[in-house]
Amino acid sequence: MRKEVIGTNQLFAMIILFELGTAIVVPIGLESGHAVWLSILLALPGGVLLYLVYHDLSRQYPGLIISGYTRKILGRTIGWPLSLLYIPVFMFNGSRNLREAGDLLIAASYDRTPVFIINAIMVIAVMYILNKGLEVFARTAEIYLAVIFVLGFICSFVVIAAGLVDFKNLFPLHAADWRQAFRSAYPNIWIFPFGELVCITTVLPHLKESRLSGKTGVGAIVLSGILLCVTHAIEMSVLGEDVYHRATFPMYTTITLVNLANFIQRLDALVILTLIIGVFFKMTLYCYAAIAVTADLFKVQDTRKLAVPVGVVVLFSSFISAENYPRHMEEGGVFLRYILPVLCAVIPILLFIVHRIRKRFGLLR
Amino acid sequence: MPGNQDPLLSAKLADNLQEIRDRLGNSPDLIIRKFELVTSLIEVAAIYINGLNDKDIVDEFITHIMAFDTLGGDGPQLNSVNGIYQFMKGKALSTGEEKVIRDWKELFAALLSGNTIVLVDGLAEAIGGNTSGGEVRAVTEASTQVAIRGSKESFTESIGTNLSLVRRRIKNANLWIETMKIGVVTQTDVAIMYMNGIAKESVIQKLKQKLQGIHIDAILESGYIEQLIEENKYSPFPTLYNTERPDSVAGNLMEGRIAIFVDGTPFVLIAPTTFFMFFHAVEDYYQRYDISTLIRLLRFMCLIISLFGPGLFVAALNFHQEMIPTPLLINLASQREGVPFPTFIEALLLEVTFEIIREAGIRMPSPIGQTVSIIGGLVLGQAAVQAGIVSPAMVIVVSLTGISSFATPAFNMALSVRILRFIIMFIAAFMGLYGMCVFSFILIAHLCSLSSLGIPYMSPMGPFIPQNQQDAVFRLPFQFMKNRPRLISQKKHNKRIR
Repeated sequence: MRKEVIGTNQLFAMIILFELGTAIVVPIGLESGHAVWLSILLALPGGVLLYLVYHDLSRQYPGLIISGYTRKILGRTIGWPLSLLYIPVFMFNGSRNLREAGDLLIAASYDRTPVFIINAIMVIAVMYILNKGLEVFARTAEIYLAVIFVLGFICSFVVIAAGLVDFKNLFPLHAADWRQAFRSAYPNIWIFPFGELVCITTVLPHLKESRLSGKTGVGAIVLSGILLCVTHAIEMSVLGEDVYHRATFPMYTTITLVNLANFIQRLDALVILTLIIGVFFKMTLYCYAAIAVTADLFKVQDTRKLAVPVGVVVLFSSFISAENYPRHMEEGGVFLRYILPVLCAVIPILLFIVHRIRKRFGLLR
Repeated sequence: MPGNQDPLLSAKLADNLQEIRDRLGNSPDLIIRKFELVTSLIEVAAIYINGLNDKDIVDEFITHIMAFDTLGGDGPQLNSVNGIYQFMKGKALSTGEEKVIRDWKELFAALLSGNTIVLVDGLAEAIGGNTSGGEVRAVTEASTQVAIRGSKESFTESIGTNLSLVRRRIKNANLWIETMKIGVVTQTDVAIMYMNGIAKESVIQKLKQKLQGIHIDAILESGYIEQLIEENKYSPFPTLYNTERPDSVAGNLMEGRIAIFVDGTPFVLIAPTTFFMFFHAVEDYYQRYDISTLIRLLRFMCLIISLFGPGLFVAALNFHQEMIPTPLLINLASQREGVPFPTFIEALLLEVTFEIIREAGIRMPSPIGQTVSIIGGLVLGQAAVQAGIVSPAMVIVVSLTGISSFATPAFNMALSVRILRFIIMFIAAFMGLYGMCVFSFILIAHLCSLSSLGIPYMSPMGPFIPQNQQDAVFRLPFQFMKNRPRLISQKKHNKRIR
């Protein structure tokens, strides 16, 4: 089969859509109080460094995805089971995104539609696009990046134009706020959304000009970090700390307050649209990563065959894993604290160190 | 000698003529003119099909080829069959397209494409000369792709005329034409035309391969070719562009595309295409860039309206009432008070009615075409509202959608949008905006997966090509349009404009 190739523009679009994904709509860094925007900025350098680790590993082992070089570095006996861990985590993370979108939709206007139907429709689209392959996925991402930018521009413009922004909600920043911001930046925001980029390691080998993956990736992460920071700062400044933390979807709450000249109002649909687009691409990338790792570990030739099984697993785990939304958020907290850091940061950094040591002492086979 | 070849001509004139009559089933339009040479008393016959030839040219050809046959003239006196043959061959050659025919297959191919065949008794070879002509439609104004500014010429049914119309616009030796015959029975002339050095070699090869792979009895219109060489046969979107404007073909050739001419139709195919091409009109380049860009944006807006218009209305009324400002919502609700159907059924009713009017309007003989618009527009629209079957707002939405779909310059693209509109309406009725949103993911992913002769359909947007943005959604001033489409044309992308 022909190897699928994507360009740097496409990688850029995929990373931005992935980063913005759900993080732009749901509240992040709950511990940092009103300094959430600062936490995002603080977590950004960590995210960039983490990406450089992924990038370096891909460059050292061209053509291999994360499960491939894990086995090369740690040997088959340790590497294989360790890589296996990634499959359920990718799928579970994808299903969590799906759950969040489904719950927002039900809260917004589908109160009489079962969550199964709502999620199933999204999963059908994901399976379709994965069945078409990575190239098609990347091209679609490019087009939707433009859509997201337009939506984001409209949303921020109307919020600012409506005079809702109140900078008093963002300042002052005391020393205690800095400490708090830092504490919520590491590891929380560092891992979600920046650390989650570990699944981009399955895409990097497909890049046409692999030497540009570093520059492109870092550019995309910095841009998405800034966008996240601005968006959350706007949300915080409009809602205030209290409402921001109580709202399930602060962005949604923010936009409902807009009323321009009694004519431009009820722009909730735009937020829902943003969330659906973000979730869709994030989930597709997660499913793609799960498929790629599975195919690599179990030596499946035609990766497209795995689109349906992975989609079905994601669909069911999206509503079976938690009975209700608060429970879902609680699970998310545990997941974010104990499981994701291991897979997103600890294992890659470990691989990086082991690789360096072995290279230094000439132990590479 | 290969076995499948037709037997050779016989040396006896009478036998040959009998064979021709038999094979054509004594067709009345077969004209055989028999002479006896005055000088040598050898029998000669000229054969042609009535109507395929220009009578004057036929006469001229015959007199020219028999110029030796004058008693006492100063022309050469030829008595032997061989001498006559040599003379005729020389003369025929000087008239231009001549050929020496040795077997039956060749003879009929020549005869039926408008040649005049000269047979000489005692000779197993025939001489054919191209005298084709006859009734053809004159070059008229384009009827399907109208432009306010720009050439008034459009293609006709004759492939020769069509090729020359483009030649006249591009006076360059690099304008290359290759011809072939497709259709086992119809033997239709098909020509591909491209700019050597601009069009990509691999794309030309691919197209040729596809054309040679066609096995079908009849090619009656370029639509046959279009459907047979499409890569994505189950997609609603067209991947070949058709036009009846020579200036459009010339412009596309200069961008490195290939034109496919089919004899018998004024519609010329262009490949490879991109999605955005279907929203460009030739006039965009003739008008100033600012108005062209705005009009292009307007067309994309119309695309969105004609795709999502009724769906959006149905979704908003069924699922997202909060999106509609309250006074408008009350207004809409009061309009719908007496309407007995759900919104979706109401929309479907009106859309189907609209489609019926549209189809009837096309098929109807033009003198009574007026009636359709009166009955359709006035009686149905007005009366349906007054009778309380549909609400006035729905009539507005459906007619806006209908008008928007006519703003797409390419008719075949408008047709696929027409199909998708119903699917989107259906989805909107069941899943609201969310369903439409997810469907548009599938739609765009589908568009991104299409290709036209190997060129991604959504380029230059997906894959995004920054250098080619000047002529996709926007139309920048000419000094910025220095690049040819990167994926379509050869390596040298710079147009020489300055």
